[in-house]
Amino acid sequence: MVNIFRWSWGLLLAFFCLFLVRVFLPLPFANEILIFAIYTIGCNFLLGRVGFISFGQPAYLAVGAYGTAFYLFYFGSNPFVGILIGVLSGVAIALLVGPFFVRLRSDYFALVNLALAVIMFYLFEKILAKITHGDNGLWFLTNMTSTPIIDLGNPSDFFIFTFLLAFGVWALYKYLDDSIFGACCLATKTNEDKLKFLGYSNFNIRWLAFVIANTTTAMAGSLYAVYFGFVSPEITAPSRAADPVIVTLLGGVGTLYGPIVGAFAYTGMKDLISGYIANWELFIGLLLVFIMLAGEKGIWGTLEPILKKLIFKKKNSTN
Amino acid sequence: MNTHASPEIIRTDNVTKKFGEMVAVDHVNYSLCENEIAGIIGSNGAGKTTFFNLITGYYTPEEGTVIYEGKDITALPAQKRVALGMMRTFQLTSTFDSLTVTDNLVLSFIRAHKKHSLFNLFVTPRSRHRNNDKIKECLETFDLQQVAQRDVKHLSLGEKRRLEIAMSILAEPKVLLLDEPLAGLSETEIKGVLDVLRLNVSKQTILIVEHKISKVEDFLERLTVMHEGKIIADGKCEECLNAPEVRKSYWQID
Ligand SMILES: Nc1ncnc2c1ncn2[C@@H]1O[C@H](COP(=O)(O)OP(=O)(O)OP(=O)(O)O)[C@@H](O)[C@H]1O
Ligand SMILES: [Mg+2]
Repeated sequence: MVNIFRWSWGLLLAFFCLFLVRVFLPLPFANEILIFAIYTIGCNFLLGRVGFISFGQPAYLAVGAYGTAFYLFYFGSNPFVGILIGVLSGVAIALLVGPFFVRLRSDYFALVNLALAVIMFYLFEKILAKITHGDNGLWFLTNMTSTPIIDLGNPSDFFIFTFLLAFGVWALYKYLDDSIFGACCLATKTNEDKLKFLGYSNFNIRWLAFVIANTTTAMAGSLYAVYFGFVSPEITAPSRAADPVIVTLLGGVGTLYGPIVGAFAYTGMKDLISGYIANWELFIGLLLVFIMLAGEKGIWGTLEPILKKLIFKKKNSTN
Repeated sequence: MNTHASPEIIRTDNVTKKFGEMVAVDHVNYSLCENEIAGIIGSNGAGKTTFFNLITGYYTPEEGTVIYEGKDITALPAQKRVALGMMRTFQLTSTFDSLTVTDNLVLSFIRAHKKHSLFNLFVTPRSRHRNNDKIKECLETFDLQQVAQRDVKHLSLGEKRRLEIAMSILAEPKVLLLDEPLAGLSETEIKGVLDVLRLNVSKQTILIVEHKISKVEDFLERLTVMHEGKIIADGKCEECLNAPEVRKSYWQID
């Protein structure tokens, strides 16, 4: 019980800060950060905990988004059901491609995921154009019924829902970090031979991690779909494939709150700098180079030890 | 070869492994009995590690079979061999650098003592196992309490080696295969490790590869000498070391 409290304080604090974003900054900004953070945590987990870098996260994002979109456009009107279906589509695709992908070394893994994103793009743009309406995309904002208590059509309710969902996601990843499975992931990243000779199956552990990470990614896709009431193949455009990796590096690889900090910084800079300079991506690029050269720790990776020290000192002085 | 009354636990029939043209292990017939404490020596490149790798499933042999408790395991993946009770260490110390010493032990302990299931991977947090008596005892035996909470990447080579042996012993395997477990250890550390191994002797079959025979001579019941991929002597330590073949190729004296 004591343990639970100890770890959940950090989590509560983080989400309290995130809630301040909602209070002090515009709502669309807050919503975008939340979804982007959820989008990135899967990528962060794969890279930081399992040692897989993926340049194809939009593929899973798109599967989630289209899963939700198909349901809301053709079959039903309840956005919660839509999100559930999007998430399940994510589980399905990850279960399906996982066994082939997780056998690969990290560099090939990055590329094969990129290839999948390209395939998805053409699938949704051309091959399935009859049902996806190609580049025009699917519009279903008006199809969604308003649900009691939390109405996802209302941006402010949407924030509450996404906020709670994100809290759940972070609690889950925090829990995974402390589980035996979390140790297995780190072990498969650093020394797969040894793990094998302790009797674990690297394949199973990686596959499972892959499914967990990409289900989260698909969940972000579903949230995008419901939030905008619109999905087009643009969501899996290969030119955006590196986004989650960038945010991961920006925030700090393998840190729990890196994705939130990274999403905040990325979205913030995009909105801020693009007001002054057209090529805001150039600025992000330069920042990334700087972060890499400064020790690859990312923003949160740099801040965390400092904050810890501050809090630790305070505790010592009160004792 | 069955000098003991106890049954055979591992047997290899004509196992062969080539690297390109080079035959690293050449038609080796070997058998190990339950509760035997055996050693393999040989000069650099004799094929000892490769032979280990064939037994434990790191490589599959190009020719020949590996039998474990009467079952053919030649094609069985390494992790399944572990489940049958085979545990090995590596010549170059192999541990999980980004985990703490205790968590390294926890991983080994869980796999061996809890039923290996999804449930156990997820439901119990690591911290629950950190205070396990067996793990604490193990930390003590190997003199690792001081560094228990430290990440393995900050340990010295000697500490890492002790940790790796601790991990393998903690799993309480039926057969323990140690590849040069004493290399890089100080005299006192060597004594410590051998003492722990002695404690386990009654429960386990142990196969040790060692470069310098002097360190383990008293400990072994049986010795095998390898040279250029072949077994050139096998039997009591004394006899082996004095065999003319061995004198020529291992000691390099005529
Ligand atoms: N992966 C590999 N690829 C190519 N050749 C290899 C490989 N592993 C071992 N060899 C070669 O096989 C031969 C046997 O090597 P092995 O490592 O089994 O010897 P060893 O008896 O363990 O020697 P040492 O005492 O140095 O550990 C050596 O000539 C070595 O160069
Ligand atoms: Mg060797």
